[in-house]
Amino acid sequence: MRSRTYRLEAEGELSDQIGRLFDGMSVRRTHGNTELVGVVRDQAELHGLLKRFADLGLTLLSVDTIDGEARH
Amino acid sequence: MARAGLSKAVLGGEGRAVADLRPTDVLPPLAEAKLAAPRQRAGMVDRPRIAKALEAGGDAALTLVAAPAGYGKTTAVRAWCASSETALAWVTLDLGDNDPVRLWTYVATAVDRIREGLGRRALQRLRLSGISIETAIDELMNGIAGYDRDLTVVLDDLHTITDAGCDASMRYAIERLPPTARLILITRVDPPLELARLRARAALAEVRADDLAFTSAETRELLVDRAGLPLNGDEVEVLHRRTEGWPAALYLAALWLRAVGDPHRAVHEFGGDHRFVAEYLSQEVLASLDADERSFLLHAAVLQRFTAEVCDGVLGRSDSAAVLADLEDSNLLLVRLERREWFRVHSLFAQFAATQLAASGPGSVIDIHRRAAAWFRSRGLAVEAVEHSAAAGDHDVVADVLTQYHLALIRNGGSATLLRWVRTLPDDCLVEHPELAVAAATAATVIGRLTLERRRLLHLASRAQVDRPERFGVYAEAAMAMVRAAAVDSGVGQAVSDGRRAVELAETGPDDVLVAARASLAQALYFAGELDAAWDAASRAVRHPDAVRCAPGYAFAQATLALVAADRGQMTSARAHAETASAVVGKLTSSRSWLGANAAVAIGAVLEGEGDLAGAERAFAHAERFFRDDVATVSHTRSLIRLAEVRCQRGRLDEADAALREARDAIVELVDGGTVSRSAALVATAIARTRRRAGRAALVETPSEAELAVLRLLVTDLSARQIGAQLFVSPNTVRSHTRAIYRKLGVRSREDAVARASALGLVR
Repeated sequence: MRSRTYRLEAEGELSDQIGRLFDGMSVRRTHGNTELVGVVRDQAELHGLLKRFADLGLTLLSVDTIDGEARH
Repeated sequence: MARAGLSKAVLGGEGRAVADLRPTDVLPPLAEAKLAAPRQRAGMVDRPRIAKALEAGGDAALTLVAAPAGYGKTTAVRAWCASSETALAWVTLDLGDNDPVRLWTYVATAVDRIREGLGRRALQRLRLSGISIETAIDELMNGIAGYDRDLTVVLDDLHTITDAGCDASMRYAIERLPPTARLILITRVDPPLELARLRARAALAEVRADDLAFTSAETRELLVDRAGLPLNGDEVEVLHRRTEGWPAALYLAALWLRAVGDPHRAVHEFGGDHRFVAEYLSQEVLASLDADERSFLLHAAVLQRFTAEVCDGVLGRSDSAAVLADLEDSNLLLVRLERREWFRVHSLFAQFAATQLAASGPGSVIDIHRRAAAWFRSRGLAVEAVEHSAAAGDHDVVADVLTQYHLALIRNGGSATLLRWVRTLPDDCLVEHPELAVAAATAATVIGRLTLERRRLLHLASRAQVDRPERFGVYAEAAMAMVRAAAVDSGVGQAVSDGRRAVELAETGPDDVLVAARASLAQALYFAGELDAAWDAASRAVRHPDAVRCAPGYAFAQATLALVAADRGQMTSARAHAETASAVVGKLTSSRSWLGANAAVAIGAVLEGEGDLAGAERAFAHAERFFRDDVATVSHTRSLIRLAEVRCQRGRLDEADAALREARDAIVELVDGGTVSRSAALVATAIARTRRRAGRAALVETPSEAELAVLRLLVTDLSARQIGAQLFVSPNTVRSHTRAIYRKLGVRSREDAVARASALGLVR
């Protein structure tokens, strides 16, 4: 199982504080939404992140993998 | 689950000094709070629309209420139940219920509360190891069908159930609900229950986020009518649009706007903002509180569960009761729990509050956890103490508390909980706490299928014996010998030595281990073929004045007594012992455990002796399944041999061969299997003899097609009536075909017919 860089997009702008709950991921606010980008070791970790989303009541807009370097 | 139970009982003695609290007090495994329908919260808006939707779903067997956190699912269902006339069985599920036996025990108990006796047969079935869960569910459905009025079963927090066996059992149950009953499932995640199929059959009613979201009108009712906010139509609409009707957000908004100076401006700013709604509102609400209340709430959110007393103690105050009373009004922030006097902060809000506190300095959160841990510990509330210490990262404190309470946990079904916490501790910590390492090894043994983990833990304890002899006392040594004996890791001969050593050490002082030590010795002696000595050791184990409280050891010893009695042909005695073992296991833990497997072997031996071969095979199969591990073990090998033997008796020779082959492969790996080689050889001979006997008589005449059809079903457990139902003929026809088959195959019994048929290749 290799690690991948994932990009998760949530509806609504999240503060950096909340972003810290997804440790290891960078937080970027775009108009009305938030992008979380980071290296995810394996599927178990990914599902942990998704559960975090659900627990916070966030609406998940998309989940993507990114090739190469993580975007700033 | 051991969680609520453990603290509950200790709480019952509020005010007792630590010295009075015996860490080994016996506690009721079923937590009452899970069976109580949640109290209705005051100040919630009526949702007649939702009640109607729930009412309309009454014709469907299953109603699914699925939405994320904060949508008022539980509130809505609770309100509907109260207003309708239905009899109600409510179970709030949690992580500890991820076992079909546990899950359905709760459901059956709740049903039984409606009218005593409705769930009794199901509960009886559930207590017997090795009985399929489907049988128990059938009994429960029969019980429910016997109640002639409408009955509703509600399962709340279904999303905590992730076990595949539980899912399968629920699918089975849904298909068999009587017409007067309905099942309401409340969850945050759609369960894997073939919903599409149920939808197509109109057997499913749904209430989802869209339904639960507040409409504009309901939003107006909440904000203007209830909260008294002077908002106009547009402003209400801004709030409705921005929150998308999310109830939790709207209740937060109501709180916030009631406190601000200029609600119109606040709404306007909110409307133009893009921040995630829940965070925005949580922070605004926090900002609207006075400094003291805010600080109180932020710190309380870290505590997870608390009373006024806890808050006073941990936060260094004396007025928590008053503050809580004030805050309770805003019942979205604070939720009162079923356990009297206890509260928690609403989970959604708590998450945002926690990050707020963390921002002001990471040390502050850890500090609260530390103080909470110390406070809970001083009151003997072990579970909370461990949770907070773990959250603070204080491994040593966690280890200390677990060591102190390990017996209470193991004796009250908390083995899985104990092991879960121990896994978070670094090796060095366990070497400093060898008693805990051994306790965890015991827990791993009771649960089963954790041989490698147990060996690792025992290895750490051995290291302690060498490196930290001052921390490795007689108790640790006795317990370690006991676990080694029970696990039989180094062969049967060594297990007998370990068992004797354990008993010897336990007799000199640490009495707590004595029952388990004797039980382990008994098993080892039994495996070595020394029946009399095994009987003696096991009898002493159960005669100990404290035997019943030492539940795992007691069940273990009873199972061995049953096996010895069965070997001696004393079936009445064997049955009594086997049933006792089963009952204890049923109350203590899941039948799908090592302990459960032990009880299952005992039951199997009894059924075999009584002639119920089908039942015996089922029991042995259950045992085989739950003895199976990453490495070969004596228990598993023996269960395979028993399985082979009963299959041979039933004429299922190919299956018998398969089990025996597996057993022989395992024997090669065993260091010293006791009597297994001998037993395997005996079964091999029996199989060969049965094959010969089956093949000896010449085939008198070939059976007809119709007779072959019956023959194929004779190899199963079905009765003549059931076979007739499958083949669309009368039971009498089945019987006459059967007689013809016997004549043509030259046999006189069903078992022989099966054996002969398989030997001749007439059936696959």
